[in-house]
Amino acid sequence: MKKRLSQIISTLLLGTLLVTGCSSEGSAPTTSTQTATPSTEAPAPAASKVQDIKDGINLATDLSKLPEAATKRTDTFIAGLTEPGGVFNPFFYHNGYDGNVSSAIFESLVDVDATGKPVPKLAEKWDVSPDQLTYTFHLRPNLKFSDGSPLTAEDVAFTLTILHDKTYDGETDIFVASIKGGREYKEGKANTIEGIKVIDPQTLQITTEKVNAKSLVLLGGQVLSKAYYGKEYKPGNLEYLRTLHGKPLGAGPYKFEAYIPGQEVRYLANEHYYAGKPQVEHFIYKTTEGDALQFIQTGEMDYNSFTVNSDNIEQLQELGYVNINLYTSSAYSYIKFNHSKPFFKDKRVRQAFIYGLDRQKILDLTYQGYAQVANVPISPVSWAYTEDVNPYAYNPEKAKQLLDEAGWKPGADGIREKDGQKLVVHYYTTKGKLGEVLIPIAKENYKELGIQFEAEMMDYNAVLARTEKGDHDLASFSTTMLIDPDDGVDAFSTKKGKSGFTGTNGYSNAKVDELLEAGLSTLDIEKRKAIYKDLYKELSDDPPYIFLGYRKILSAHNGKIKGLEPNPFTGISTSLPGIKME
Amino acid sequence: MTFYFLKRVFYMALTLFGASILIFFLYALTPGDFVDTSPKLTAERKLELKAMYGLDKPVVERYFIWMKNAFQGDFGYSLQYQQPVMSLLNDYIWNSFLLAITSTFFTWLIAISIGVLSAARQHSWFDALVTIGVFAAMSLPVFFVGLLFIKLFAVDAKLFPAGGMMTIGSKETGLAYAWDVVQHMILPVTVLTLLSVGTLTRYFRTNMLEVIQQDFVRTARAKGLKEKVVLHKHALRNALLPAITLLGFELPALFGGAIITEKIFNWPGVGQLYMQAFSVRDYPLLMGFTMFLAILTVIGNLSADLLYRVADPRVRLK
Repeated sequence: MKKRLSQIISTLLLGTLLVTGCSSEGSAPTTSTQTATPSTEAPAPAASKVQDIKDGINLATDLSKLPEAATKRTDTFIAGLTEPGGVFNPFFYHNGYDGNVSSAIFESLVDVDATGKPVPKLAEKWDVSPDQLTYTFHLRPNLKFSDGSPLTAEDVAFTLTILHDKTYDGETDIFVASIKGGREYKEGKANTIEGIKVIDPQTLQITTEKVNAKSLVLLGGQVLSKAYYGKEYKPGNLEYLRTLHGKPLGAGPYKFEAYIPGQEVRYLANEHYYAGKPQVEHFIYKTTEGDALQFIQTGEMDYNSFTVNSDNIEQLQELGYVNINLYTSSAYSYIKFNHSKPFFKDKRVRQAFIYGLDRQKILDLTYQGYAQVANVPISPVSWAYTEDVNPYAYNPEKAKQLLDEAGWKPGADGIREKDGQKLVVHYYTTKGKLGEVLIPIAKENYKELGIQFEAEMMDYNAVLARTEKGDHDLASFSTTMLIDPDDGVDAFSTKKGKSGFTGTNGYSNAKVDELLEAGLSTLDIEKRKAIYKDLYKELSDDPPYIFLGYRKILSAHNGKIKGLEPNPFTGISTSLPGIKME
Repeated sequence: MTFYFLKRVFYMALTLFGASILIFFLYALTPGDFVDTSPKLTAERKLELKAMYGLDKPVVERYFIWMKNAFQGDFGYSLQYQQPVMSLLNDYIWNSFLLAITSTFFTWLIAISIGVLSAARQHSWFDALVTIGVFAAMSLPVFFVGLLFIKLFAVDAKLFPAGGMMTIGSKETGLAYAWDVVQHMILPVTVLTLLSVGTLTRYFRTNMLEVIQQDFVRTARAKGLKEKVVLHKHALRNALLPAITLLGFELPALFGGAIITEKIFNWPGVGQLYMQAFSVRDYPLLMGFTMFLAILTVIGNLSADLLYRVADPRVRLK
């Protein structure tokens, strides 16, 4: 009973935080399915109670414990989703959860596998010209939208065209691909986009002006039906599309049935799906704004994701009838330096800040072992990951030595000084567990080095606004899901400066700039691997951020669901078409 | 009376004007805006989007644009939901209302009955127990009671559903649907009632005690009326009078949504909509909703004053 009570209380604490502090991660919608909720529970020593749990799927131990509600349901798969908002269009949503809803309805030409490499979907194959500027997509034969109408190269061309419209306000930035004539179209100087050519209904050729490794996945995105979404389209007017966001039509494994605001999104299996109609007829995303475990316990829900901690894992293991999925997120967390501050100009000072911070301890206390220290700006799940860089193991002596070398000498009060200036740094972070653990440790760690560490916790938007102004010396953030390795490093280019939460406020390194360009200028993954390895080494030596950690993502599903394999890049959407219920 | 009414309407308009300024600037000056909260956008794209949404204009100008549209009944499009603010609120607000009106009804019913009873038996063991009980209920945090109830009654005893407003995937209509909703309402309504009944009970008890000591009650008793009649007919009616003001305040609360309770029970109310809108700085939605509550507050106050006059002939409105 005692244990139960402690579980209840920790859930309660989480409950309050959902209300008071969810803005930080909740406001940075990503396409991941994680429910990322900060929590203030004291670092629980409960880790020992958790039985061994490995990365990947940990199978249910006792299916006989399945609640009746779950065994009775044989043709409906119910997954939890924090809060979809009703904009079910892959290019127009502003809420990551709408992205999850859309990904079941809309299929793309090219998808990525569990390591972030492109794999064919609606496109059977694609050719890239030797100069890597022209892409030719070959669609599978007889593709259809869920209403039975044909899906052709015209539809793909239409989709790419409206993304260039000057009134397009979604979050897809098609200009990264530099399609020839795209700018002219946006500015109204051309009626069509020169670089998009429909060769025949199954073949589409796209000419770009600049080699970019990210173009393939971007161009091969989800497809909108021209007949359905393009009826009223005139350049410079996309407003009519709003009325269609609530009744989407696509070529994905499931077709949209109904949306009940704040409650459910319902789907039906799409008989016209290219890979065959999914076996499970009904699929429902249930809004789980609050605690979701209760629905798994009663058997009303089959799948949900949870905050990773030993309490949650233990509770799930106790249930016995759920498969527990644990995998590393594709995002990384970091503390950014404000590179416009004079004391960070010297890279030795930055290195000292990394050596002098016990990152392992911070992560262990925050995530109870379900996170690992980051030393490169890409997750271990990606093909670009490498461990061949300086691990920056906690080493205060080395840090002190670096600060001495950089000319920062301890003053009378123990705080280091240089040219009459004291080494006092201001750190901003969002409210949440990471901040609560990090602040006292960092304060102590840095005090030992002779650095005065002043921390402030605030609302996510306030941290953003203050860092945008450049008020900070250090600030904590986490990236969104990263598919291409470039997404994790593009902020380090001299050109980028300080846009948003990745901004460096003036990091500049000629070699990094060069390698960043090089990393994008070939589509050959082996060549890119080598380039990123060099880049990560350079970033390790001249650090733009303090890389902090990669955390794990926890989800669980009812053991009678087979074939569900959540992955760090696409969540459950990739395995959705193939699931079976026993 | 007509003059009084017109005067009040004029004051209402002034109050609302003041409220609109306050609400607008409060939200507009909170750090961060809708575009800034998008993590993936480039600086260039952000400027484009700000221009598209009108966020690049000076704050004062934005206020007048908003006011102008609001006067025409247009509270704009929610940036995040891409829907007119009013239709969006319409999707959620009635769910909150349903929960609030039911729990308010039970709260008042229970509070009045208990308040009268314990006033009639002041210092009795019943009074003492009730006092302890309501204070205990009042001091419990809602998330604690909520989660405890879910654990006890939904997960372990399986008496009630664990949350939501209807069975997942249910396609019932008509009465069967209504019954489904009623079952889902029991736990949240109980929690809400339990937590708010305390204050009101104390309030009615005090009012009752005050009235009972007045001369007219003594007179009523002196002329030989039964204690029941004295209490329920003469005393209660007078004790209820000040409650009219409270009733006026309840109006905005009925539509405001109980954020924490809704969250715990996964109730599709307006509270979660508001929290979500706040975290991404969806101004049109935030301002539309807050303004709506301001209007209700003002209307609630006015109706309370008017009702007062109807209920109590001693009150003369000038």
